[in-house]
Amino acid sequence: MKVKVGDVVVPGDIAEEISRVKSETKCVLGPGLRRFSENVIVCKSGIFRKKNPNTYWVDSHQRKYIPVRGESVVGVVVNKSGDIFKVDIGASELASLAYTSFEGATKKNRPDVKLGDVLYAKLKIASLDMEPELECVDSKGKQSGMGVVADDGFLFTCSINVVRKILSPKCPLLKTLGKEIPHEIAVGMNGKVWLKARSIKETIALANAILATEYITNEETNAMCCRIIEALQEVN
Amino acid sequence: MAAMAEDQHVLRKMFCEFDVLSCPDGSAMKYRNRSCLRPNKLIIDKACVEAVYRPKVGQPRVADKTKEKMIGNTCSSAILSTLYPRTSVSIILQEMQNSGGLMACAINAAYLALIRSGIAMKFLVAAVTCGITKDDKVILDPDLNKVKDCHTELMFAFDSIDFNIVAVDSSGQYTEEQYQKALSLCKEASNEIFDFYRNLVKKYACCI
Repeated sequence: MKVKVGDVVVPGDIAEEISRVKSETKCVLGPGLRRFSENVIVCKSGIFRKKNPNTYWVDSHQRKYIPVRGESVVGVVVNKSGDIFKVDIGASELASLAYTSFEGATKKNRPDVKLGDVLYAKLKIASLDMEPELECVDSKGKQSGMGVVADDGFLFTCSINVVRKILSPKCPLLKTLGKEIPHEIAVGMNGKVWLKARSIKETIALANAILATEYITNEETNAMCCRIIEALQEVN
Repeated sequence: MAAMAEDQHVLRKMFCEFDVLSCPDGSAMKYRNRSCLRPNKLIIDKACVEAVYRPKVGQPRVADKTKEKMIGNTCSSAILSTLYPRTSVSIILQEMQNSGGLMACAINAAYLALIRSGIAMKFLVAAVTCGITKDDKVILDPDLNKVKDCHTELMFAFDSIDFNIVAVDSSGQYTEEQYQKALSLCKEASNEIFDFYRNLVKKYACCI
């Protein structure tokens, strides 16, 4: 079946529009699209999107994280062997993190990382054929918000769409809730979210609010935020 | 009589619900099943696709293992396994109720779970069952009562691009003519299943 931008697509559909793009101009194919001889074929189900001038992709539902270089992720330390930590970031394999990739870490001055600690880190190496590798420093060797997060707080997993949604500038959720409920949050592109508010009640309310945004629009999100804030004020 | 003729060429109504299970990467309840990517068995250059079929009661037997193999093969034909090297895709199917056409239902349910998990595929597959009755009539999607009148059951799976046959499962005796008739009937009906897939995606994609 031939599809247009904005349509609901399933694998096997032909994106005819892309074939018509002039051969001199540059065209970017995002996730969910692949070339097959003359045509561009859809390989994921979702909504077909376009960004000018010539960037195309398919917005689809996904829970499994596939590592991408440079993305920030949240993970749990599950193993410590020699000078490498193994971190569960929800991908098909554990990611490795060298102890020297922390701010100010040297051979003598080891970072204090225990099993079960939650980390906010960036993917240094991500390739389909290799184990992903993490780092907790930016290009200047500074921490810049990365590293082990506080001992308390709440870690939960949601679908990758939810993460993309709450991080998009259009989504009012964290802005609105942040004004009324002060909280710390680390959102990983792998669908793991670490959250800490003043009390357990507030933390649970925030976590539920994030999970609920999956199937609602931005306008509905605003209304939901107001309801949550009111409810929390009543409880307190 | 008219009502019966109509009955013969209509699929039973289908229902599906996504995300019934919280842990796997994609789940669909048509007959409940789920799919997940995890490195269980490894093939270096592509994903290893395996299916696990659990019957309603008891341990899986030889017949269930055959089903597993068939579902696994049908699914691996569509999955772009080279995009996922060193991973394995497990499709776990749990039978909850049998009202005829179990094999077709299992394949459709496996595809729904794969759609939900967001794995890259070449095409979709729809499976349709039909039966040949004792008086040599071909009926589409027979339920348990009608199966008793059938001496032969045929299951076809079609891809969504050219409607080519991906898998065939048959039991009983049939002539070539009957086979062709059943094939054309099932091919027509598979359109309905592809529409069902698309509508489901539409329903769940509204707020991405």
